[in-house]
Amino acid sequence: MKSESELVGFCIEAACESRESVDKWRMQSRSLDRLPSHLADSLLRRLIARRLLYPSLLEVFKHSAEEVDVRGDNSVDAEWMAYLGAYRHLRYLNLSDCHRVSTSALWPITGMSSLQELDLSRCFKVNDAGINHILSIPNLERLRISETSVTAKGVKLLASLKNLSLLDLGGLPVDDVALTSLQVLKRLHYIDLWGSKISNKGASVLNTFPKLTYLNLAWTSVTKLPKLSFLEYLNMSNCTIDSILEDDKAPLAKLILSGAMFMNEAEALLYANTNFLSFLDVANSSFHRFFFLSKMKVIEHLNLSSCMMGDDSVEMVACAGGNLKSLNLSGTRVSSAGLGILAGHVPHLEILSLSQTPVDDTAISFISMMPSLKDVDLSNTNIKGFLHQGRTDVNSLLSLMALQNLKLERLNLEHTQVRDEALYPLSSFQELRYLSLKSASLADISLYYLSSIPKLTNLSICDAVLTNYGLDMFKAPETLKLLDLKGCWLLTEDTILSFCRNHPQVEVRHELGTLFPVNQNGLNHSSPSRSTSKTMQMTKKKDQIPLSPYFVDQRLKYSRDELLALQFTSLPLASSSESGNSIFEKQLG
Amino acid sequence: MKKEDTVKLISAEGFEFVVDKEAAMVSQTIHNMLTSPGSFAERQHGEVTFPEISTTILEKICQYFYWHLQFASGKETEFPIEPELTLELMMAANYLHT
Repeated sequence: MKSESELVGFCIEAACESRESVDKWRMQSRSLDRLPSHLADSLLRRLIARRLLYPSLLEVFKHSAEEVDVRGDNSVDAEWMAYLGAYRHLRYLNLSDCHRVSTSALWPITGMSSLQELDLSRCFKVNDAGINHILSIPNLERLRISETSVTAKGVKLLASLKNLSLLDLGGLPVDDVALTSLQVLKRLHYIDLWGSKISNKGASVLNTFPKLTYLNLAWTSVTKLPKLSFLEYLNMSNCTIDSILEDDKAPLAKLILSGAMFMNEAEALLYANTNFLSFLDVANSSFHRFFFLSKMKVIEHLNLSSCMMGDDSVEMVACAGGNLKSLNLSGTRVSSAGLGILAGHVPHLEILSLSQTPVDDTAISFISMMPSLKDVDLSNTNIKGFLHQGRTDVNSLLSLMALQNLKLERLNLEHTQVRDEALYPLSSFQELRYLSLKSASLADISLYYLSSIPKLTNLSICDAVLTNYGLDMFKAPETLKLLDLKGCWLLTEDTILSFCRNHPQVEVRHELGTLFPVNQNGLNHSSPSRSTSKTMQMTKKKDQIPLSPYFVDQRLKYSRDELLALQFTSLPLASSSESGNSIFEKQLG
Repeated sequence: MKKEDTVKLISAEGFEFVVDKEAAMVSQTIHNMLTSPGSFAERQHGEVTFPEISTTILEKICQYFYWHLQFASGKETEFPIEPELTLELMMAANYLHT
């Protein structure tokens, strides 16, 4: 997508301001026909996002638009399709999740010679007869029909679309015979067959697709794969695996085997080419031993969640740790001792999940030896925040202190035994943006410690015994955008409302109602960068939500009255620093 | 205003807009015309003709140049665009890379 210049962006914004502004330009057919395609596509995208597009307006773009993406739009029906069928240069059409698009609605796009990519995912009213309409699109290269009502019979017909390179048949009852009949599609390099009826017999013909690089066989009964020399992506999650990747040719980059059962675990992945493997997901799989990890030299993302892994296997992860960026060990038996083995071997690790593991406070000092960490999940662990070394000097025993040297941006301590005093070290975490706490042993003093975290944007402190007084006294960091107080049962509605009045930029969540920021633009407007125009678009859109009959936001439905009342009461209270912004906002509207 | 510091932009109908060079340079296209080495006629005479851009649109473009300079120096006001002009202005802005 070509990036637009600033003035072009302003023009698109002004053109899509309202139905009235659309009416001002829609008759300028001479200009519309001359519109360069990328401008027409941008304008269309904006009209769709603003829900200003309707069938007859589609007509004005028939000579200019090349890309139309109306995914998830339930108003798209046969009438829309009739107009779209007249688009002479249409290259890309995305109708996914447009539930009113049926087989007969597809008739107008028959024979569209410019069309190269069509997405009908989850259009469940499209069936085998709909495939017949698609067959006449001569240059179609990419087709997605996952979770439609197409059957194996319809899939067989696709064999006549000789230019197909991408075929997404996910969730369709494709059988071995249907797959075999697709063998003539020699250009296919991407096949998605998750949840299909393919068996080993069908899978054995996959090597007749000479260019196959992407293969998804998740939730099928396939247990064996033939040699696939160019495979880069393989998903066989929730399959029972006998033998796959036995030759060492396929340059795999991404392998997903989550929930898989291995019939012959000792040899699984032993011969696979892992020279390029950067992503491996074996969460919930039946692996017991992890020798294969030690030879993965370039792996960056490793998910071992809920595997039968203990401290004895951590050494294998450490061997492969040189390039690791994210590591998920949640639900494993890895303990603090295991982390001791890992520390020092993962110089680039940024994301680490230890949720639901038996780690305790001794693990924290090992975690502090992983220099690139940004995101740590310690929820549901035995972390207490104190190190018990038999001494009584409280300050030196606060275990979270060890994390101060890291540039942590996210920290999850939900369902741990961390108490108020233990949170004290957090107040000097300079980069922390997201913090999640959930515990009945947290009280007002926690809020006091957290108020001095300089960059905090999202704070969730659930199930705590916060009092009205504590919330009144809370000096929220200026950067705060979201405060989740769910389960803080001592708080009353009045206190929450008054907090919102005093902190208009913060969205507050609580059982007594979700309250959105009153002043939508907050402090964002002060930066005179290019992104400002985007912020202004967003602001305008939000402001118009209550007026637009085409947009029903479930969240607003419930608290709108409260919101209006709140907005009204807060206006006179707007502090002097905010008043400049509100004047600006009025000018915008 | 010295002549060297200004540039003349001429619309399809022949209307001439004299603007600061600094303002006109907001357009990457004009910037390239006026600064690239070689003998662009535009560079020698300080004149650029736009046979595709009407007077109304070119006037708006010039307003935008000055608005943009102001914007860059930190002042914040909205740049108003009449819906009738959006299509033509969009195409001109696209051509001028502004």
